[in-house]
Amino acid sequence: MDRELSDEDIAHVRGHLNACGGCLHIFQFEESLRRLVKVRCQEQSAPESLRAKITLSLATEQLRIQQTRSRQRPTA
Amino acid sequence: MRTLKAVSARTAAKANPETHAEAAATRARFEDEALQHLDALYRTALRMTRNPSDAEDLVQDALVRAYRFYDRFEPGTNFRAWLFKILTNTYINSYRRKQGRPQESSLEDTEDFFLYNQLSSDGGERVTDVEDTVLDQLGADAIQRAIDQLPPQFRTTVQLSDVEGLSYAEIAEATGVAKGTVMSRLFRGRRQLQRALWDQAQSAGFTGGSKVHQNGEVRDGDHL
Repeated sequence: MDRELSDEDIAHVRGHLNACGGCLHIFQFEESLRRLVKVRCQEQSAPESLRAKITLSLATEQLRIQQTRSRQRPTA
Repeated sequence: MRTLKAVSARTAAKANPETHAEAAATRARFEDEALQHLDALYRTALRMTRNPSDAEDLVQDALVRAYRFYDRFEPGTNFRAWLFKILTNTYINSYRRKQGRPQESSLEDTEDFFLYNQLSSDGGERVTDVEDTVLDQLGADAIQRAIDQLPPQFRTTVQLSDVEGLSYAEIAEATGVAKGTVMSRLFRGRRQLQRALWDQAQSAGFTGGSKVHQNGEVRDGDHL
């Protein structure tokens, strides 16, 4: 379900699920629950204003870094 | 004065291997890549802080830090996991202390397949899809409240895995623990989440008690 098993293990689990109705039902249920949680929670996105704030603070940070670096350079 | 400044800026730019234009291009590239993950970072920050305004500040701080250390990021490695790692560290360093001791979870440890067992009737009718159950009524808010009930480490791990879709290895990198720890946190976190989801369904009045199995929507009068 997390796509973390090896091919061999997947084949093993699949073989068992096909043979065992009880486990198959649980597997399908758990999978649908995982889907529900993911889909509903992904509906939420970051506020648009946050994007603008970040753009601004990155620009400010770029200037700050450049100023610090130029101050650190020994003058020729 | 202005001329002096301009001259010294030019000298600095000459001495500095990265010109202003180059620095701007690097920033644009960082911004472009990082903002693709903004929603995921914000959602995760919200689960960490449980407060929208702190979550915004946290994401902003983390991204400024990430940009500051962008030259230490090894190209070819996982940028998303790297961003989440900085988010986690920023949270631990600046926000967790501010928020004080994490609230103890009141969730009991639950059995395996708690919801499946709650929703399947004793008579043998088995439910194979949450959409056929009362849980389908839970909106995003209720599900997020349920995740927020988990202890902090479980909460972040479950969020990163089950909402943001990070792999075990990515979560291990992001949260600074071994992969085995990620797996055990996920295992226990998901078990507790099932209980928390059930509590949400109950407090919303979707379930009459335990062992309720309903097909589809709850209509007025169904429970009468």
